Amino acid sequence: MTPNVLIVAEVDSGRLSLPTVEAAGVARSLSGPDGKIVGIAGGAGAAGAAIEFGEYGIERAYAIDDPRLDGAPAQAQTAYIAAAASAVGAHLVLLGGSTAGRDLAGRVAVAWKAAAANGVTELAWAGEALRVQRPVFGGRATEARLLRGGRAVVSLRPHAFPAAAVERTTCAVERAPAASVPPALLAPRRTGVEAVPKGTGPALSDAPIVVSGGRGVRTPENFRLIEELAASLGAAVGASRAVTDAGWRPTSLQVGQTGRSVSPQLYIAVGISGAIQHLVGMMSSRVIVAINNDATASIFRVADYGIVGDLFAIVPALTAEIHRVRGI
Amino acid sequence: MEIVVCLKPVPDAETRLRPRADGSRLDPEGVKFVLAGYDESAVEQALLLREAIAGSKVHAVSFGPPRWTEEVLRAAIALGCDTATAVESAGEEAGDPIAAAEGLLGAVEGMPHDLVLLGKQAGDDEEGLVPGALAEMLGMPHFGYVVDLHWDGAAQRLRFGRSAEAGQETWESPLPCVIGLQQAWNDPRTAKLPAILKSRRAPIAKVSPPAPSPERAASVPERFALPPPRTGAKMIAYRTPEEAAQQLVRILKEEAKVFP
Amino acid sequence: MPDFSLSPEHESLRDMARKFARTEMVPHAAECDRAARFPEEIYRKAHALGLMNLNVPAEWGGSGLSLFEQCLIVEELAYACGGMTTSIIANCLALEPILLGASPEQLKRYLPSFCAEYHLASFCLTEPGGGSDAGAIRTRARKDGDEYVLDGEKCFITNAPHASLYTVFATLDPQQRHRGISAFVVPRSAKGLTPGKDEEKMGHRASSTSTVRFEGVRVPAADRLGEEGEGFSLAMRTLDMTRTPIGALATGIAQAALDHAARYALKRETFGKPIAEHQAIQIKLANMAQAVHAARLLTWYAAWTIDGGQKGTLESSIAKCFASDAALHVADEAIQTFGGYGYMKEYPVEKLLRDAKLTQIYEGANEIQRTVIARELLRGYS
Repeated sequence: MTPNVLIVAEVDSGRLSLPTVEAAGVARSLSGPDGKIVGIAGGAGAAGAAIEFGEYGIERAYAIDDPRLDGAPAQAQTAYIAAAASAVGAHLVLLGGSTAGRDLAGRVAVAWKAAAANGVTELAWAGEALRVQRPVFGGRATEARLLRGGRAVVSLRPHAFPAAAVERTTCAVERAPAASVPPALLAPRRTGVEAVPKGTGPALSDAPIVVSGGRGVRTPENFRLIEELAASLGAAVGASRAVTDAGWRPTSLQVGQTGRSVSPQLYIAVGISGAIQHLVGMMSSRVIVAINNDATASIFRVADYGIVGDLFAIVPALTAEIHRVRGI
Repeated sequence: MEIVVCLKPVPDAETRLRPRADGSRLDPEGVKFVLAGYDESAVEQALLLREAIAGSKVHAVSFGPPRWTEEVLRAAIALGCDTATAVESAGEEAGDPIAAAEGLLGAVEGMPHDLVLLGKQAGDDEEGLVPGALAEMLGMPHFGYVVDLHWDGAAQRLRFGRSAEAGQETWESPLPCVIGLQQAWNDPRTAKLPAILKSRRAPIAKVSPPAPSPERAASVPERFALPPPRTGAKMIAYRTPEEAAQQLVRILKEEAKVFP
Repeated sequence: MPDFSLSPEHESLRDMARKFARTEMVPHAAECDRAARFPEEIYRKAHALGLMNLNVPAEWGGSGLSLFEQCLIVEELAYACGGMTTSIIANCLALEPILLGASPEQLKRYLPSFCAEYHLASFCLTEPGGGSDAGAIRTRARKDGDEYVLDGEKCFITNAPHASLYTVFATLDPQQRHRGISAFVVPRSAKGLTPGKDEEKMGHRASSTSTVRFEGVRVPAADRLGEEGEGFSLAMRTLDMTRTPIGALATGIAQAALDHAARYALKRETFGKPIAEHQAIQIKLANMAQAVHAARLLTWYAAWTIDGGQKGTLESSIAKCFASDAALHVADEAIQTFGGYGYMKEYPVEKLLRDAKLTQIYEGANEIQRTVIARELLRGYS
């Protein structure tokens, strides 16, 4: 079998988003030498973004030429994506692990009569079927499923895959096959975005490294120690519920069952005891480091590396050491 | 406003996860299936809208084996939902979200529905495919990751927030619409004891799911596995904070290979 | 065949109480114990969810639960905190004389307004000079026209500093002992009624306990429950109804102690293996488990007997006495399982022992329970 893959672009400020670039990498490793990989981009800046597929060795892409899609929700592209998937004889439609990608997968699966999976961490062909693996129950278990029938729609878990290597080629951009968009999908309008404050490091759900502080930090002023450690690593700052409940930091930083689930490469928990509500939100991180003065804290049971000690001594020392090693 | 809220029975948070003997999926034996997480937020949102818009009704729908859906629907009634409908499945379809959406579709189409609410994803498989799939089948727009939903009666628009990579977005949409809600942003209410007792006697309507369409691609559970138990942290021994810092940085660089 | 399984209805009640206990009570139990804080915000939530006036029929604004259902709930709450549970269920005790002895007019006057809002009531029987010997009550009631005038002092009264309603037992004639006692309903606003200051207690520190002084408190005759001289019988019938939930409360504490001990035994290692693999600890856990199971079943049996319409004095006394002794024993063994850590306040088991102790003392000390058990028992042989 020579699997053909359609990659759905998510355009972020006129460029392919990081999740899309991760998807491009997966597509290249999944598609054999004879398989086709085709990109598709829609909405404002679609043509420019489609050309950018060439940066990652993808030679062909569709641009959806439909001005109604500018400012419309990504779901308005559903019919175009399904039509393009059929046109290229795709076996797999691959979406990035973004909010929009996850939202789109179910729609595209229905429109294209495919099986689907969201938040996938591993995928491989098993004959005509695609075997996908994904964490479930907040990382307490994994499930593997077979997507059968020769048509699969998959979104990836963010950061589960490296971004595609740069391999410049020329991407031939064509107009996407025509499709009919239900007017109902064009009606919703975005009325505003409150951007994540700049200068505070990467967004929590996106960051490859997260440094979180908990009750052990004791005061809102002391939370500065967490932020300085995060800055030294170029990491995002997170917090336990105790911190956001107390109003020391905004709830948007809360990691846990009632906040955000994160799965970075490295998670550093400082002064966090490890209540299950917190653990559920970070347990699927690749490497977990815990710093706590209580040797019996639950966080040490899920951590890979632990330091028992006074965070007010350890954290500044760690920040200084990282500055020294990174030469900043 | 006629509000339908779709609820998935999920294993109670205290469930000890265990694969079935053939290893293909979670062993449901002895597992208590409950209304939880994102779906609780969806019910809360439905009730808040009903309280805000006179003459509104909230209809709870759940797909799954009757033994599982009954508890979820009774919980929804105890919280204040007006009607309850179970779409009965054998449980084998549970691994296929598109089949679940097909099951829900029949029930939703059979009742008045201006707005369909769900958890943005289920508390067990955390997959989030059903809201989009159901919306596509219904020909409606849909949004996941939604918080803080309001009805603007003057403009006849839903207004809501949505957490996305770019930041907190705000949106507006006319009805009908499908909305997947973020968990616990709205502090879901707890059912009162007399309401729980009353809910035990409430009627639950039953609907049969459609026969699965033969041409549709299927999603088949193959393996359910628990990660090897984390054996506990490797503790870093040190004499001074500086030594602890040096050791950790060295480990992150050389052993864990995650140092930036 | 007798059936020990819970109905779906029972399960949903138990689950609801469990959820409340784990999410609202557990996070504050240690802190309230340490600071002897009366967590009114938790009690308000318990009231709002219908967990407070469990025995009051729904038509009067309560939850209208059978005794068996009450026991399911009380065990779950006590698993989280015995002291908070005592304060949450104190209304059941204080309102029971009203449920048993009030006229239809009085029921309507007292209950709906009381139950609709968060209100606490206190059961005022025990006095400094006599707890178990209730016939020896010294608080006097003097008839004065259409009123009674109360003078005296009650002690160890749960929730007294926070209550808005008191059911008070006083004697018109101490010479007549039991037959001289009458029961009255007195609002907090009554002039001359003064709760004392909070007692500093060994356990149940989230609960509030104080004396209540009555100095020339005038009570309209319309607020007397039943006839003059019926007070003692009302008090005894009340205790027949409320003794069994104390068995459930003790069972909850015992179950918590067993759970802590078993989890700890699996984690803690000595001589190269978890202590749960040492026979000495296994025997301990096995004995603790037996005590917990027996306590629960005796409690359920007493509730089932009383729900079936029988008086159940023997059964409820056995349940209360056995379960409270079991709770103390199991909490003690849990501390022993933890070793030195168990003795430290940082760990949760020493609180269980302090909380368990009270269940042997209040609502009829176990000595009195044994007297009652023997009396009821020997009646069958004579």
